[in-house]
Amino acid sequence: MGKNDHETVKAVLDGDKEAYGALVVRHSQSLFRVAFRITGNEADAEDVVQEAFLRGYRKLESFESRAQFSTWIYRIAVRCALDKIGGHRADDSTRVADETDPELEQLQVADKAAGPDRLLLSGEIGAMQAWALYSLTATERTAFMLRHLEGCTGEEIGAALGIPPNAAKQAVFRAVKKLRSRLAPLREMR
Amino acid sequence: MNHLSEEELIEQYYSKGAAGFGQHIQDCAECAEAYAALSSDLDKMQFATPPERDAAYGERVSRSIAPLLPAYQPRRRSWLHIGLWRGLSYAALASLIVAAFFAGRLWEHRQPKTAAVNNPAQPEVQAAPPKQRIVVVVLSDHLDRSERLLVELKHADADSEEMVSPLRDEARSLLAANRICRQNAAKTDDPELAKALGRMDHLLDELANQPGGLNAATITRLQDEMDADGLLFQVRVLRSRIPEQQAAAAAGSKEGNI
Repeated sequence: MGKNDHETVKAVLDGDKEAYGALVVRHSQSLFRVAFRITGNEADAEDVVQEAFLRGYRKLESFESRAQFSTWIYRIAVRCALDKIGGHRADDSTRVADETDPELEQLQVADKAAGPDRLLLSGEIGAMQAWALYSLTATERTAFMLRHLEGCTGEEIGAALGIPPNAAKQAVFRAVKKLRSRLAPLREMR
Repeated sequence: MNHLSEEELIEQYYSKGAAGFGQHIQDCAECAEAYAALSSDLDKMQFATPPERDAAYGERVSRSIAPLLPAYQPRRRSWLHIGLWRGLSYAALASLIVAAFFAGRLWEHRQPKTAAVNNPAQPEVQAAPPKQRIVVVVLSDHLDRSERLLVELKHADADSEEMVSPLRDEARSLLAANRICRQNAAKTDDPELAKALGRMDHLLDELANQPGGLNAATITRLQDEMDADGLLFQVRVLRSRIPEQQAAAAAGSKEGNI
Protein backbone atom coordinates (compact mmCIF):
# COMPACT_ATOMS: atom_id res chain seq x y z
CA MET A 1 0.00 0.00 0.00
CA GLY A 2 1.38 3.46 -0.87
CA LYS A 3 2.30 5.94 1.81
CA ASN A 4 0.24 9.07 2.29
CA ASP A 5 1.78 12.49 1.72
CA HIS A 6 2.80 13.03 5.33
CA GLU A 7 4.47 9.65 5.60
CA THR A 8 6.28 10.28 2.33
CA VAL A 9 7.52 13.68 3.51
CA LYS A 10 8.79 12.07 6.68
CA ALA A 11 10.59 9.38 4.67
CA VAL A 12 12.25 12.05 2.50
CA LEU A 13 13.38 14.00 5.54
CA ASP A 14 14.76 10.79 6.99
CA GLY A 15 17.04 10.51 3.99
CA ASP A 16 14.95 8.59 1.46
CA LYS A 17 15.39 10.97 -1.46
CA GLU A 18 13.67 8.61 -3.91
CA ALA A 19 10.42 8.86 -1.95
CA TYR A 20 9.99 12.43 -3.17
CA GLY A 21 9.25 11.01 -6.62
CA ALA A 22 5.93 9.69 -5.32
CA LEU A 23 4.90 13.21 -4.30
CA VAL A 24 5.96 14.58 -7.68
CA VAL A 25 3.97 11.94 -9.54
CA ARG A 26 0.92 12.48 -7.33
CA HIS A 27 0.75 16.27 -7.64
CA SER A 28 2.38 17.23 -10.94
CA GLN A 29 -0.87 17.16 -12.95
CA SER A 30 -2.69 19.62 -10.68
CA LEU A 31 0.37 21.84 -10.51
CA PHE A 32 0.66 21.87 -14.26
CA ARG A 33 -2.97 22.91 -14.57
CA VAL A 34 -2.63 25.92 -12.26
CA ALA A 35 0.74 26.85 -13.74
CA PHE A 36 -0.77 26.86 -17.19
CA ARG A 37 -3.69 28.99 -16.03
CA ILE A 38 -1.27 31.61 -14.72
CA THR A 39 1.44 31.54 -17.35
CA GLY A 40 -0.84 30.77 -20.29
CA ASN A 41 2.00 28.87 -21.86
CA GLU A 42 2.67 25.15 -21.94
CA ALA A 43 6.46 25.32 -21.83
CA ASP A 44 6.43 27.89 -19.04
CA ALA A 45 3.94 25.81 -17.11
CA GLU A 46 6.24 22.79 -17.30
CA ASP A 47 9.14 24.92 -16.09
CA VAL A 48 7.00 26.14 -13.22
CA VAL A 49 6.11 22.59 -12.19
CA GLN A 50 9.77 21.57 -12.07
CA GLU A 51 10.78 24.71 -10.22
CA ALA A 52 7.94 24.29 -7.72
CA PHE A 53 8.97 20.74 -6.87
CA LEU A 54 12.60 21.78 -6.56
CA ARG A 55 11.74 24.66 -4.24
CA GLY A 56 9.39 22.40 -2.35
CA TYR A 57 12.13 19.85 -1.80
CA ARG A 58 14.53 22.49 -0.49
CA LYS A 59 11.91 23.86 1.89
CA LEU A 60 10.56 20.49 2.93
CA GLU A 61 11.86 20.86 6.49
CA SER A 62 9.60 23.87 6.93
CA PHE A 63 6.53 21.89 5.87
CA GLU A 64 4.28 21.51 8.90
CA SER A 65 2.62 18.19 9.29
CA ARG A 66 -0.71 19.73 10.17
CA ALA A 67 -0.92 21.25 6.67
CA GLN A 68 -1.89 19.46 3.48
CA PHE A 69 1.09 18.83 1.22
CA SER A 70 -1.10 19.46 -1.83
CA THR A 71 -2.04 22.95 -0.59
CA TRP A 72 1.52 23.72 0.41
CA ILE A 73 3.07 22.74 -2.93
CA TYR A 74 0.22 24.45 -4.79
CA ARG A 75 1.15 27.74 -3.12
CA ILE A 76 4.76 27.27 -4.07
CA ALA A 77 3.73 26.62 -7.66
CA VAL A 78 1.64 29.80 -7.74
CA ARG A 79 4.65 31.78 -6.48
CA CYS A 80 6.88 30.19 -9.11
CA ALA A 81 4.34 30.96 -11.82
CA LEU A 82 4.11 34.52 -10.60
CA ASP A 83 7.89 34.83 -10.73
CA LYS A 84 7.81 33.39 -14.21
CA ILE A 85 5.30 35.83 -15.62
CA GLY A 86 6.90 38.68 -13.72
CA GLY A 87 10.13 37.83 -15.51
CA HIS A 88 8.38 37.53 -18.83
CA ARG A 89 7.00 41.02 -18.62
CA ALA A 90 10.46 42.46 -19.01
CA ASP A 91 11.28 39.92 -21.71
CA ASP A 92 8.14 40.70 -23.69
CA SER A 93 8.75 44.41 -23.88
CA THR A 94 12.19 43.74 -25.33
CA ARG A 95 11.00 41.18 -27.81
CA VAL A 96 8.05 43.21 -29.04
CA ALA A 97 10.38 46.07 -29.88
CA ASP A 98 12.35 43.79 -32.15
CA GLU A 99 10.22 44.03 -35.29
CA THR A 100 12.68 42.30 -37.55
CA ASP A 101 12.04 38.92 -36.02
CA PRO A 102 9.08 37.27 -37.78
CA GLU A 103 8.74 34.66 -35.00
CA LEU A 104 7.63 37.37 -32.62
CA GLU A 105 4.62 38.38 -34.67
CA GLN A 106 2.17 36.76 -32.29
CA LEU A 107 3.73 38.43 -29.29
CA GLN A 108 3.28 41.80 -30.93
CA VAL A 109 -0.41 41.13 -31.42
CA ALA A 110 -0.79 40.43 -27.70
CA ASP A 111 1.00 43.61 -26.71
CA LYS A 112 -0.83 46.79 -25.72
CA ALA A 113 0.71 48.56 -28.66
CA ALA A 114 -1.39 46.45 -31.01
CA GLY A 115 -4.51 48.04 -29.54
CA PRO A 116 -7.98 46.61 -29.02
CA ASP A 117 -9.38 48.10 -32.22
CA ARG A 118 -6.99 46.15 -34.38
CA LEU A 119 -7.80 42.95 -32.55
CA LEU A 120 -11.51 43.58 -32.90
CA LEU A 121 -11.26 44.30 -36.55
CA SER A 122 -9.56 41.00 -37.16
CA GLY A 123 -12.31 39.29 -35.19
CA GLU A 124 -9.94 37.75 -32.76
CA ILE A 125 -12.12 37.72 -29.69
CA GLY A 126 -9.92 35.20 -27.96
CA ALA A 127 -6.87 37.32 -28.65
CA MET A 128 -8.73 40.36 -27.34
CA GLN A 129 -9.43 38.57 -24.10
CA ALA A 130 -5.85 37.40 -23.94
CA TRP A 131 -4.70 40.96 -24.47
CA ALA A 132 -6.99 42.18 -21.68
CA LEU A 133 -5.86 39.43 -19.37
CA TYR A 134 -2.16 39.83 -19.99
CA SER A 135 -2.32 43.58 -19.61
CA LEU A 136 -3.22 43.06 -15.95
CA THR A 137 -0.45 43.09 -13.41
CA ALA A 138 0.94 39.68 -12.56
CA THR A 139 -0.71 39.75 -9.13
CA GLU A 140 -4.09 40.81 -10.51
CA ARG A 141 -4.00 38.20 -13.23
CA THR A 142 -2.98 35.43 -10.86
CA ALA A 143 -5.55 36.45 -8.26
CA PHE A 144 -8.23 36.57 -10.93
CA MET A 145 -7.29 33.19 -12.38
CA LEU A 146 -7.24 31.58 -8.95
CA ARG A 147 -10.66 33.06 -8.15
CA HIS A 148 -12.36 32.63 -11.47
CA LEU A 149 -10.98 29.30 -12.67
CA GLU A 150 -9.68 27.54 -9.58
CA GLY A 151 -12.46 28.71 -7.27
CA CYS A 152 -10.03 29.78 -4.55
CA THR A 153 -11.26 31.97 -1.70
CA GLY A 154 -9.69 35.30 -0.77
CA GLU A 155 -7.84 33.62 2.07
CA GLU A 156 -6.44 30.93 -0.21
CA ILE A 157 -5.37 33.44 -2.82
CA GLY A 158 -3.77 35.61 -0.17
CA ALA A 159 -1.86 32.64 1.21
CA ALA A 160 -0.70 31.60 -2.24
CA LEU A 161 0.44 35.09 -3.18
CA GLY A 162 1.83 35.97 0.23
CA ILE A 163 -0.51 38.93 0.69
CA PRO A 164 -3.34 39.61 3.16
CA PRO A 165 -6.73 38.14 2.19
CA ASN A 166 -8.23 41.60 1.79
CA ALA A 167 -5.46 42.62 -0.59
CA ALA A 168 -6.15 39.43 -2.55
CA LYS A 169 -9.83 40.35 -2.80
CA GLN A 170 -8.95 43.84 -3.93
CA ALA A 171 -6.66 42.38 -6.59
CA VAL A 172 -9.58 40.30 -7.89
CA PHE A 173 -11.86 43.34 -7.89
CA ARG A 174 -9.35 45.42 -9.80
CA ALA A 175 -8.79 42.62 -12.29
CA VAL A 176 -12.51 42.21 -12.97
CA LYS A 177 -13.00 45.96 -13.36
CA LYS A 178 -10.11 46.28 -15.78
CA LEU A 179 -11.17 43.26 -17.78
CA ARG A 180 -14.73 44.51 -18.11
CA SER A 181 -13.53 47.91 -19.09
CA ARG A 182 -11.13 46.61 -21.73
CA LEU A 183 -13.57 44.06 -23.07
CA ALA A 184 -16.48 46.49 -23.26
CA PRO A 185 -16.24 46.68 -27.10
CA LEU A 186 -16.94 42.93 -27.23
CA ARG A 187 -20.27 43.50 -25.50
CA GLU A 188 -21.40 45.68 -28.37
CA MET A 189 -20.32 43.11 -30.93
CA ARG A 190 -22.35 40.30 -29.38
CA MET B 1 -31.92 53.04 -1.53
CA ASN B 2 -28.17 52.64 -1.72
CA HIS B 3 -27.12 50.62 -4.70
CA LEU B 4 -24.56 47.86 -4.53
CA SER B 5 -21.02 48.72 -5.52
CA GLU B 6 -19.26 46.81 -8.26
CA GLU B 7 -17.12 45.13 -5.59
CA GLU B 8 -20.23 43.88 -3.83
CA LEU B 9 -21.63 42.58 -7.09
CA ILE B 10 -18.35 40.78 -7.81
CA GLU B 11 -18.38 39.34 -4.31
CA GLN B 12 -21.94 38.14 -4.85
CA TYR B 13 -21.00 36.54 -8.18
CA TYR B 14 -18.00 34.60 -6.88
CA SER B 15 -19.58 33.59 -3.60
CA LYS B 16 -22.49 32.15 -5.59
CA GLY B 17 -24.97 34.17 -3.59
CA ALA B 18 -23.43 33.61 -0.17
CA ALA B 19 -22.30 37.24 0.14
CA GLY B 20 -25.85 38.14 1.21
CA PHE B 21 -26.76 40.67 -1.46
CA GLY B 22 -29.32 38.41 -3.15
CA GLN B 23 -32.35 40.06 -1.57
CA HIS B 24 -31.20 43.51 -2.58
CA ILE B 25 -30.62 42.38 -6.14
CA GLN B 26 -34.14 40.94 -6.25
CA ASP B 27 -35.66 44.15 -4.93
CA CYS B 28 -33.59 46.67 -6.91
CA ALA B 29 -34.01 46.68 -10.67
CA GLU B 30 -30.91 48.79 -11.23
CA CYS B 31 -28.67 46.47 -9.25
CA ALA B 32 -30.30 43.43 -10.85
CA GLU B 33 -29.43 44.83 -14.25
CA ALA B 34 -25.85 45.60 -13.19
CA TYR B 35 -25.48 42.13 -11.72
CA ALA B 36 -26.84 40.50 -14.87
CA ALA B 37 -24.34 42.46 -16.99
CA LEU B 38 -21.46 41.50 -14.72
CA SER B 39 -22.47 37.83 -14.71
CA SER B 40 -22.80 37.86 -18.47
CA ASP B 41 -19.34 39.38 -18.94
CA LEU B 42 -17.66 36.94 -16.61
CA ASP B 43 -19.58 33.90 -17.86
CA LYS B 44 -18.61 34.66 -21.43
CA MET B 45 -14.91 34.93 -20.76
CA GLN B 46 -13.03 32.23 -22.58
CA PHE B 47 -9.81 30.73 -21.38
CA ALA B 48 -7.44 28.29 -22.93
CA THR B 49 -8.00 24.84 -21.49
CA PRO B 50 -4.80 23.42 -19.99
CA PRO B 51 -3.47 20.75 -22.33
CA GLU B 52 -3.70 17.22 -21.00
CA ARG B 53 -0.51 15.68 -19.64
CA ASP B 54 -0.10 11.97 -20.17
CA ALA B 55 0.10 9.51 -17.29
CA ALA B 56 3.89 9.43 -17.43
CA TYR B 57 4.21 13.20 -16.99
CA GLY B 58 4.79 13.00 -13.24
CA GLU B 59 7.50 10.37 -13.74
CA ARG B 60 9.23 12.60 -16.27
CA VAL B 61 9.18 15.57 -13.91
CA SER B 62 10.50 13.37 -11.14
CA ARG B 63 13.36 12.07 -13.29
CA SER B 64 14.26 15.55 -14.49
CA ILE B 65 14.65 16.99 -11.02
CA ALA B 66 16.07 13.90 -9.29
CA PRO B 67 19.75 14.73 -10.04
CA LEU B 68 19.27 18.17 -8.47
CA LEU B 69 17.99 16.88 -5.15
CA PRO B 70 20.52 16.34 -2.39
CA ALA B 71 19.48 13.65 0.10
CA TYR B 72 18.42 14.88 3.52
CA GLN B 73 20.46 13.65 6.44
CA PRO B 74 18.33 11.48 8.71
CA ARG B 75 16.62 13.82 11.09
CA ARG B 76 17.97 14.37 14.56
CA ARG B 77 15.52 17.08 15.27
CA SER B 78 12.96 14.82 16.88
CA TRP B 79 15.52 13.33 19.23
CA LEU B 80 16.83 16.73 20.20
CA HIS B 81 13.31 18.01 20.51
CA ILE B 82 12.26 15.17 22.78
CA GLY B 83 15.53 15.42 24.72
CA LEU B 84 15.03 19.12 25.29
CA TRP B 85 11.49 18.76 26.54
CA ARG B 86 12.39 15.77 28.66
CA GLY B 87 15.34 17.66 30.12
CA LEU B 88 13.16 20.66 30.92
CA SER B 89 10.44 18.55 32.49
CA TYR B 90 12.95 16.66 34.61
CA ALA B 91 14.59 19.92 35.67
CA ALA B 92 11.18 21.28 36.67
CA LEU B 93 10.41 18.09 38.56
CA ALA B 94 13.77 18.18 40.32
CA SER B 95 13.16 21.80 41.33
CA LEU B 96 9.76 20.84 42.67
CA ILE B 97 11.20 17.98 44.68
CA VAL B 98 13.96 20.13 46.15
CA ALA B 99 11.45 22.89 46.92
CA ALA B 100 9.14 20.37 48.57
CA PHE B 101 12.03 19.03 50.59
CA PHE B 102 13.06 22.43 51.86
CA ALA B 103 9.46 23.43 52.43
CA GLY B 104 9.15 20.33 54.56
CA ARG B 105 12.24 21.25 56.52
CA LEU B 106 11.01 24.78 57.00
CA TRP B 107 7.67 23.50 58.14
CA GLU B 108 9.43 21.12 60.49
CA HIS B 109 11.36 23.96 62.10
CA ARG B 110 8.25 26.02 62.65
CA GLN B 111 5.93 23.25 63.74
CA PRO B 112 7.60 22.30 67.04
CA LYS B 113 7.54 25.90 68.18
CA THR B 114 3.82 26.17 67.44
CA ALA B 115 3.18 22.86 69.08
CA ALA B 116 5.22 23.89 72.08
CA VAL B 117 3.23 27.09 72.39
CA ASN B 118 -0.10 25.26 72.14
CA ASN B 119 0.87 22.37 74.32
CA PRO B 120 4.18 22.68 76.08
CA ALA B 121 3.89 19.18 77.42
CA GLN B 122 3.68 17.57 73.96
CA PRO B 123 6.96 15.98 72.88
CA GLU B 124 8.75 17.44 69.84
CA VAL B 125 8.92 14.09 68.10
CA GLN B 126 5.31 14.47 66.95
CA ALA B 127 6.52 16.78 64.16
CA ALA B 128 8.54 13.98 62.61
CA PRO B 129 5.90 12.02 60.64
CA PRO B 130 5.09 14.75 58.05
CA LYS B 131 8.79 15.19 57.35
CA GLN B 132 9.14 11.46 57.03
CA ARG B 133 6.31 11.33 54.54
CA ILE B 134 7.88 14.06 52.42
CA VAL B 135 11.21 12.30 52.50
CA VAL B 136 9.60 9.03 51.44
CA VAL B 137 7.82 10.74 48.55
CA VAL B 138 11.01 12.48 47.43
CA LEU B 139 13.00 9.28 47.77
CA SER B 140 10.39 7.28 45.89
CA ASP B 141 10.48 9.65 42.97
CA HIS B 142 14.25 9.82 43.02
CA LEU B 143 14.67 6.06 43.01
CA ASP B 144 12.12 5.77 40.23
CA ARG B 145 14.03 8.20 38.03
CA SER B 146 17.35 6.65 38.98
CA GLU B 147 16.11 3.23 37.96
CA ARG B 148 14.98 4.59 34.59
CA LEU B 149 18.35 6.21 34.06
CA LEU B 150 20.17 3.00 34.93
CA VAL B 151 18.00 1.00 32.54
CA GLU B 152 18.69 3.52 29.77
CA LEU B 153 22.41 3.43 30.54
CA LYS B 154 22.41 -0.36 30.54
CA HIS B 155 20.91 -0.46 27.05
CA ALA B 156 22.60 2.65 25.65
CA ASP B 157 24.48 2.38 22.41
CA ALA B 158 27.85 3.80 23.46
CA ASP B 159 28.59 5.09 19.97
CA SER B 160 25.37 7.03 19.60
CA GLU B 161 25.56 10.66 20.67
CA GLU B 162 21.77 10.84 20.36
CA MET B 163 21.46 8.22 23.09
CA VAL B 164 24.23 9.56 25.28
CA SER B 165 23.25 13.22 25.34
CA PRO B 166 19.87 12.75 27.10
CA LEU B 167 21.59 10.49 29.65
CA ARG B 168 24.02 13.26 30.53
CA ASP B 169 21.20 15.80 30.87
CA GLU B 170 19.19 13.49 33.07
CA ALA B 171 22.24 12.71 35.25
CA ARG B 172 22.80 16.42 35.79
CA SER B 173 19.23 16.96 36.86
CA LEU B 174 19.38 13.98 39.28
CA LEU B 175 22.63 14.91 41.00
CA ALA B 176 21.26 17.47 43.44
CA ALA B 177 18.33 15.32 44.55
CA ASN B 178 20.63 12.31 44.93
CA ARG B 179 22.96 14.19 47.28
CA ILE B 180 20.08 15.38 49.42
CA CYS B 181 18.66 11.87 49.62
CA ARG B 182 22.09 10.43 50.44
CA GLN B 183 22.68 12.94 53.23
CA ASN B 184 19.25 12.21 54.62
CA ALA B 185 19.91 8.46 54.49
CA ALA B 186 23.15 8.99 56.42
CA LYS B 187 21.33 11.04 59.06
CA THR B 188 18.53 8.53 59.46
CA ASP B 189 21.02 5.72 59.84
CA ASP B 190 20.04 3.75 56.76
CA PRO B 191 23.43 2.39 55.65
CA GLU B 192 22.06 0.28 52.82
CA LEU B 193 20.32 3.23 51.22
CA ALA B 194 23.25 5.56 51.89
CA LYS B 195 25.66 3.10 50.27
CA ALA B 196 23.51 2.65 47.15
CA LEU B 197 23.00 6.39 46.82
CA GLY B 198 26.75 6.89 47.28
CA ARG B 199 27.39 4.64 44.28
CA MET B 200 24.64 6.39 42.40
CA ASP B 201 26.30 9.70 43.24
CA HIS B 202 29.56 8.51 41.76
CA LEU B 203 27.85 7.26 38.61
CA LEU B 204 25.80 10.43 38.13
CA ASP B 205 28.89 12.55 38.67
CA GLU B 206 30.76 10.63 36.00
CA LEU B 207 27.86 10.88 33.57
CA ALA B 208 27.20 14.55 34.20
CA ASN B 209 30.66 15.98 34.55
CA GLN B 210 32.95 13.91 32.40
CA PRO B 211 35.63 16.29 31.10
CA GLY B 212 35.37 16.59 27.34
CA GLY B 213 31.93 14.96 27.29
CA LEU B 214 30.93 11.33 27.30
CA ASN B 215 32.68 9.06 24.91
CA ALA B 216 32.01 5.46 23.99
CA ALA B 217 34.79 4.14 26.24
CA THR B 218 33.40 5.95 29.31
CA ILE B 219 29.89 4.71 28.64
CA THR B 220 31.12 1.14 28.27
CA ARG B 221 33.14 1.43 31.49
CA LEU B 222 30.18 2.85 33.40
CA GLN B 223 27.95 0.08 32.07
CA ASP B 224 30.49 -2.50 33.29
CA GLU B 225 30.82 -0.85 36.70
CA MET B 226 27.10 -0.64 37.06
CA ASP B 227 26.73 -4.33 36.27
CA ALA B 228 29.59 -5.31 38.60
CA ASP B 229 28.08 -3.34 41.48
CA GLY B 230 24.60 -4.65 40.83
CA LEU B 231 23.49 -1.04 41.22
CA LEU B 232 20.32 -1.42 39.20
CA PHE B 233 19.31 -4.40 41.33
CA GLN B 234 20.01 -2.46 44.51
CA VAL B 235 17.93 0.46 43.38
CA ARG B 236 15.07 -1.88 42.53
CA VAL B 237 15.26 -3.48 45.95
CA LEU B 238 15.27 -0.08 47.62
CA ARG B 239 12.29 0.96 45.54
CA SER B 240 10.41 -2.14 46.61
CA ARG B 241 10.79 -0.98 50.23
CA ILE B 242 9.06 2.30 49.54
CA PRO B 243 5.44 1.13 50.00
CA GLU B 244 6.35 -0.18 53.46
CA GLN B 245 8.03 3.09 54.34
CA GLN B 246 5.02 5.02 53.07
CA ALA B 247 2.73 2.90 55.18
CA ALA B 248 4.96 3.40 58.20
CA ALA B 249 5.08 7.15 57.61
CA ALA B 250 1.28 7.30 57.27
CA ALA B 251 0.85 5.28 60.46
CA GLY B 252 3.28 7.55 62.26
CA SER B 253 1.35 10.55 61.06
CA LYS B 254 -1.96 9.17 62.32
CA GLU B 255 -0.46 8.40 65.71
CA GLY B 256 0.93 11.91 65.83
CA ASN B 257 -2.49 13.34 65.16
CA ILE B 258 -4.27 11.39 67.86
